Order: sequence, then C-alpha cells, then structure tokens
Amino acid sequence: MSEIDCDDVLREIELYIDGELGQERSRLLAAHLSTCSPCGYRAEFQARLREIVRAKCHSDTPQTLMWRIREAIRSESTPKEE
Amino acid sequence: MQAEARKDEDEQARFEAEALPLLPGMYSAAYRLTRNAADAEDLVQETFLRAYRGFHQFEPGTNLKAWLYRILMNTFINSYRKKQREPQTVSDDEIEEWYLYSKMGEHGIEPSAEAAVIESLPDEDVQSALSSLPEQFRIAVLLADVEGFSYKEIAEITDVPIGTVMSRLHRGRKALEKRLWDVVRERGLVRD
Repeated sequence: MSEIDCDDVLREIELYIDGELGQERSRLLAAHLSTCSPCGYRAEFQARLREIVRAKCHSDTPQTLMWRIREAIRSESTPKEE
Repeated sequence: MQAEARKDEDEQARFEAEALPLLPGMYSAAYRLTRNAADAEDLVQETFLRAYRGFHQFEPGTNLKAWLYRILMNTFINSYRKKQREPQTVSDDEIEEWYLYSKMGEHGIEPSAEAAVIESLPDEDVQSALSSLPEQFRIAVLLADVEGFSYKEIAEITDVPIGTVMSRLHRGRKALEKRLWDVVRERGLVRD
C-alpha cells in the first residue's frame, strides 16, 4: 500500500527537486517515482529543464569589469590627500 | 591613525579575496535583471561598491553570497529597474499546467527527447524567455534555478515570507515553461 499518490507527487515535486522536502517525505516520493513511470518522467523532465536553464543563463563577465571594480574599491580606500 | 589604515587594508584584502570571486554569477544575474550588458556592468559595480562600504556590517562566517545578492536586488530595484509599467504577475492561463511536458507529449515527443528539444535552443532564447517574466517571478526563478539558493535564502534576499517565495517560484517556472514552449513552436521544432 502506497502512502503517496500521483496527486501528492504533482503537488510536491517542486519541493522534492529543490531539496526542500523533509527526509521522510522525500523517501516516499522517491519510492513512488521509481515505480510510477508518468511521475518519474515528469520529475526527470523538470530536473533536466532546470539544469538546462542554469547552463544557458550564464553570461560571460567582461574581462575589464573585475579590473574596474577592483580599481573603484581601491580608490575608495585611498586616504584623501590633505 | 596607523592602526586605522591597517584595518582598512585588511578589510580591503578580505573583501577582494572573498567577495570578488562571486563576480561572474553576480554579473550573469545582473544581466538577466537589466537585460543589457551596459546596465548589468554598472549595476554590478555599484553593488560591489555598496557592499564594500557596508562590509564592516557583514558578520564573518554568515552567508556572504546571500548578503551580496541582497544588495544586488536592492540596488536593482532602487536604481535600475525599468520605470515603465510591466505586468507584475503571470496570467492564470500561463500556469494552468506544466506546459512543456504536457504539450510535447501531445505532439508525440518522447520524454527523453523533450529535454533535448529545449537544449537545442540557442542560449539567447532561453535567456530572453527568463528575462521576459515579470520581475518578481524572474527574480525567484533566477535565484533558485540559476544561482541555486534555498527557499530560506531567497526569502532573506528578497525580503518576503518563504510561502511567497514558493508561490512565485511555482508560477514563475510554469510561465517560463509556457514561454519556452512558444519559442519551440516558433522555431518550428515541433509541428503545430
């Protein structure tokens, strides 16, 4: 007898993937996902989608920016000439 | 005054060693927020300057990354966000369902191939889809899915209760899926 059904999974899948579900609940959900292929596919797709968004939303930092910021910080620290 | 100067030097060295390595992630986030490179650079520079000026208030051993992102968000909201009105919420029809998954299924695309379709999109398409989300939702998805912050950290960074973070994330992710699906269709990667 399962203590979790597909509706519970739909509601909690985000928390589960985010690692924000309690340990016990995560264990139940993982067990359901491994035996229910529609839910398993959905979870896999959601997790994969997040990885893709993460990988694709990176923008290279312009090389001069680090230098500009370091200069700005150092000029803040330089004691004012009296 | 020598001791004072020494302290400043230590603080500067510590800031450069601990905060500056977080620049690449901060720049990417700033780009998603401002939607253009010039504003993103200015926003990040201003953020680091403000952080440096307030660095004595940072409690060593606590979460420096979350502290910096909080300054980034505040600086963005106070100075850089587009003044023009933009929708501040996502419509209910955008969040009816987990869009991509169900829509691609309807088109006979296998689950394993679905992710590959999104992966085949140019980076710019995914970035524009994220950038097109209303601000609150864009910020929640950005902090969770791109920057990897926990709900609690996002609540602290954006100064809202955790329940609000969860709701924004839920709605934001669904809206993002819908917009990605629209791009997939526009690019002819699935037949209507």
